[in-house]
Amino acid sequence: MAFTMRAVKVPPPSASLEEARHRVFDLFKSACRSLPTVMEIYTLNDVVTVSQLRSAISSAFRKNAHITNPKVIDMLLIKGQEELSNVVEHAKQRHHIIGQYVVDRTGMHHGAGATKDPSTSQFLDNFYTSNYF
Amino acid sequence: MASLTGSAVSVSAPVMRRIKATNGASSLNSVSFFGQKRSFSSSARLSISCAAKQETVDKVCEIVRKQLAIAGDTPVTGESKFSELGADSLDTVEIVMGLEESFDISVDESSAQEIATVKDAAEMIDKLIACK
Repeated sequence: MAFTMRAVKVPPPSASLEEARHRVFDLFKSACRSLPTVMEIYTLNDVVTVSQLRSAISSAFRKNAHITNPKVIDMLLIKGQEELSNVVEHAKQRHHIIGQYVVDRTGMHHGAGATKDPSTSQFLDNFYTSNYF
Repeated sequence: MASLTGSAVSVSAPVMRRIKATNGASSLNSVSFFGQKRSFSSSARLSISCAAKQETVDKVCEIVRKQLAIAGDTPVTGESKFSELGADSLDTVEIVMGLEESFDISVDESSAQEIATVKDAAEMIDKLIACK
């Protein structure tokens, strides 16, 4: 119940790109400042360092660096804030954190497996996307 | 002494204007703090105006080098600007966060805006460590 009540208030939309940018940096800073707590909650001390988590966070922010619409940025900030509060209030579990922020996921995208091994047939991939191929 | 106070007043004015936009209470704190610093003995005043400690600058250079993945042969000195080293704004914020973590300090919003070179960061770190 506490989770939903806190999430009801939506902050007013950013007036300009500059204000959206300030909010982005604020979210980044609050995420970085909560990292020691996260390390302690999920006992990640032997798995990863704070700087590695920090670069994982910054690469997640950088993936959306090309967005220029302040409303879209606000929406992404709300999602980011939600993710951060889920992590900090222990609503996630250790394997979520490790799988999403620690493990190297650069090779994981749609079709990554099929392109690596040319001998496997494309039949199932085509079947999943549409009835007609 | 008069010139120092004169320059200090002119520096604090734009800082105050910027702080006023965000939080009125904090501007009062920063002005009174500044005033106290000036009333200290001359040695304290000298320590603020002179350059940051070399070991602090070295540590900051190390962190910047690691963060921006700078090649070994590119020089990183006290005068290097973050933007010249290839850092965008997110990199700069991340460097400040890295400095917060390694020096165990807390940098507030307005001070973080003013950091443009390695020397600025080192001086600010020394100041924060000195008043802890």
